[in-house]
Amino acid sequence: MAAANLNTIRATIEARLATELALAPVIPVVFHNQPYVPTPNSSWVQCLVSFGANDYLTMGGTTGSSNSVIGVVAINIFTPKGVGPGANLTIGKRIRDLYNRAIVSGVHFDPPIGPEVVAAPAPEGFFQTQVRLTFETFEDL
Amino acid sequence: MAFYRGQQGSVKFDDAGSSTSTITSTRSWSLTVEKESLDTTALGDTYRANVGGLISGSGTCEVLYTASSADETNAFIKNINTATDQGVALFELFLDTTGTKKASFNGVITSAEYSATVGEIEVVTINFVTNGTITLSI
Repeated sequence: MAAANLNTIRATIEARLATELALAPVIPVVFHNQPYVPTPNSSWVQCLVSFGANDYLTMGGTTGSSNSVIGVVAINIFTPKGVGPGANLTIGKRIRDLYNRAIVSGVHFDPPIGPEVVAAPAPEGFFQTQVRLTFETFEDL
Repeated sequence: MAFYRGQQGSVKFDDAGSSTSTITSTRSWSLTVEKESLDTTALGDTYRANVGGLISGSGTCEVLYTASSADETNAFIKNINTATDQGVALFELFLDTTGTKKASFNGVITSAEYSATVGEIEVVTINFVTNGTITLSI
């Protein structure tokens, strides 16, 4: 029993995506606060893990109690511009299937939202969609 | 002035009525203590008169299901299935973490609701009534 290790939770989420996208066809993936210069007309993925609301689950003080730790994963999918959405949605399906209702190392993933088309891609020059999903894990103090 | 928040509370229980143990994963508890009133109004009185009668209590406790076994939490959520219940189970409902402010009594668990809803944590809701003396050390 210990306070939640946020880096362990982050690593659980990111490692799952990195392992999947390392399989053929390999897609480069970049995470929060990492430099990346995308190759024009290529496909790549950006994964952003953020922690949000924490809440009481059970009675108790700083020991013998539990909290809920909730967060969100936003995954941006970039594919070449001007060739339709097919390649983008193919990657989106891989990502969606990866997390949909999964429970991994105590992290419970909710059904994903998207891939939703992003009207103003950032960076420009790509077709961008975004898959978002909330997750919940439990902290036992 | 000291105020308390719900997370400072806790529940202890022993189905045998002797040495209580903490019910882990308790989310909430409530206890209602009621006293019957007996009408003693006499013929010709202008105002109705009442005196106190029998005192009883009932309440509820919500526990998050954790699949724990062989502990008092497991005994608590399964106690409803006790045959020939003599009402000896000991309840202690705490209002603070120091373990001194509590309501204690023997009681009978009268219902247990086990529920599962998609996207939500599974909850077991226990309802009980008191048996005999209710001690309020609050």
